Amino acid sequence: MEALSALLSGFGVALQPINLMWGFIGVTLGTFVGVLPGVGPALTVAMLLPLTVRLDPTGALIMFAGIYYGAMFGGSTTTILLNTPGESASIATALEGNRMAKAGRAGPALATSAIGSFVAGTIATILLTLLAPIVVDLALKFGPAEYFALMVFAFITVSSVLGSSTVRGLTSLFLGLFLGLVGIDSQTGQARFTFGVPELLDGVDVVVLAVGLFAVGEALYVAAYQSRVSETIEKVRGSIMMSASDWKRSWPAWLRATAIGFPFGTIPAGGSEIPTFLSYATEKKLTRHPEEFGKGAIEGVAGPEAANNAAATGVLVPLLTLGIPTSATAAILLGAFQNYGLQPGPLLFQSQANLVWGLIASLYVGNLILLVLNLPLIGIWVKVLEIPKDLLYAGILVFATLGAYSLHQSWVDLAMLYVFGLLGFAMRRWDIPVGPAVIGLILGPLAETQFRRALAISQGDPSVFITHPISATFLAITAALLVVPFIVRHRSRRRRG
Amino acid sequence: MRRSGAEIALSIGVVVLGVAVAGVTATLPSEGGYARIGPNVIPAGVAAGIIVLGLWLVYEAFTGGWRKRTEQTEVFEPGAFLWVSGALFAHMALIGWAGFVIAGTVLFVFIARGFGSRRWARNAALGLVLSLGIFYFFVKLLNVNLPAGWLAPVLGGAGI
Repeated sequence: MEALSALLSGFGVALQPINLMWGFIGVTLGTFVGVLPGVGPALTVAMLLPLTVRLDPTGALIMFAGIYYGAMFGGSTTTILLNTPGESASIATALEGNRMAKAGRAGPALATSAIGSFVAGTIATILLTLLAPIVVDLALKFGPAEYFALMVFAFITVSSVLGSSTVRGLTSLFLGLFLGLVGIDSQTGQARFTFGVPELLDGVDVVVLAVGLFAVGEALYVAAYQSRVSETIEKVRGSIMMSASDWKRSWPAWLRATAIGFPFGTIPAGGSEIPTFLSYATEKKLTRHPEEFGKGAIEGVAGPEAANNAAATGVLVPLLTLGIPTSATAAILLGAFQNYGLQPGPLLFQSQANLVWGLIASLYVGNLILLVLNLPLIGIWVKVLEIPKDLLYAGILVFATLGAYSLHQSWVDLAMLYVFGLLGFAMRRWDIPVGPAVIGLILGPLAETQFRRALAISQGDPSVFITHPISATFLAITAALLVVPFIVRHRSRRRRG
Repeated sequence: MRRSGAEIALSIGVVVLGVAVAGVTATLPSEGGYARIGPNVIPAGVAAGIIVLGLWLVYEAFTGGWRKRTEQTEVFEPGAFLWVSGALFAHMALIGWAGFVIAGTVLFVFIARGFGSRRWARNAALGLVLSLGIFYFFVKLLNVNLPAGWLAPVLGGAGI
């Protein structure tokens, strides 16, 4: 029970009053920003990153765990009351949640979402606690070749599984990989793609890219295309308490969704999008009240919300144990680690055991804070939703530009922010996913380091990637993922023609 | 057959980017010491990837358009786009010179205008309060330097 004693000392860290306070602040801020329409979890984490510059790493990361969970919950509140899913993972919730709110049952919809998130989040954190040491033991056996193959596998799955087109997903990924090349080469000290601009020597900061794509791009897009669209906010009338039948229908949905969400979070499939839809489909199939689906069935909220939170926790398994981010939000979290000179992975469990286990313990605490804080504060979150669009985006951009400017106190970062904003605008307009670009920026340089290390060890012999069995397996699966859909499509076309 | 000028332009843009990356890569040194894997190897791979993907997009754009794209029907409003862009440019120009608070206020007012709000005085007041709040929070509590600029005498020595 090595994990148990490690976790107990982790609680010793997480329950220190100062860290508890950072957790509280993180959850509250995360929820507040996450509730804002158009602000998803990735942007929430990126915008709040500058707030932690002066904190010690443990406090900062505990605050980030809170922000991460708070942002998820804030997003569901917006989806239920406003029917504008900020991100794809919330679409399933919108299907039933907003209908419930329209039918005057916003209270129970928010309650099943909050309690379901707590149940799923807590079970998923237990699974994370048990699984992490096993993955760490396995990962310690990985050499650079295995790591590189695993990263290539992650690259391909996050860009081809998500979104509607593999080509556009890969284009986004390669854009991110290119941006990751900018700066000083960590192996030789050679400056690459810096064009003599000193601000570029540090490389492209993940906050600038994420805030540019998500905040500036979104502001340009909404202003240019949707500033006249008005939305109706559903009122929270009556009790927020769930009835006995609500409980009876929610419980099994929460548990099933956790079983779906957690495994999907741990594999590089882009986080929450797929499991939320799978959970929705499962509940629709198993329900005893099929007539209510499409009109506000509580299972249809309970399931996807729990799946979302379980997957969000599952994403932390590869992030913490292998150092591999599988969603845009996780990539930004990895950037937060790197700001402190910490590289998540198996070695961090040994060198910074207190920090890692303190962070895991704070996930349990964060889930509880979320439950205690959010339902009573629902009135405040509704008020936040009522902020009109013009003031909302003006405020978001004042904050968003601050994060970029505080990096070097230079307008160059602001100019980059605008360029990424234009890019985000175009990507949104022409249906190119932005997640792979953010992941490519963060993971690209790590993959390059492993690639070069692997070849240095093999004295330049590239066969090292296919003679090591683990590496060969990952690369074979990756190749299959790319080639098989192509062949299937080609064949079915021929048969039809 | 659907053919979109924007898709063709964007696809060609991707190819051009790939060629540009390849061009810069050609100027990078190739010696990488022990394993002879220099700092130009991965950039060359990335450049090749971007070019291939760009050509693929060009092919799709000319043969029925990019696949599975959701068609957008909303009308583009150039005025709104320009106000938001102008807001960011004004902010960029002002921040180092006039200071964080003034730049933030101007940014706030311009963005709100981009979203159709013409209540200049109210927006300026709100933007000022927000920027001042953020300024004091970051400078006094978090010890992050932000330029005080023209308001340096009023802001009481905070900032740089």
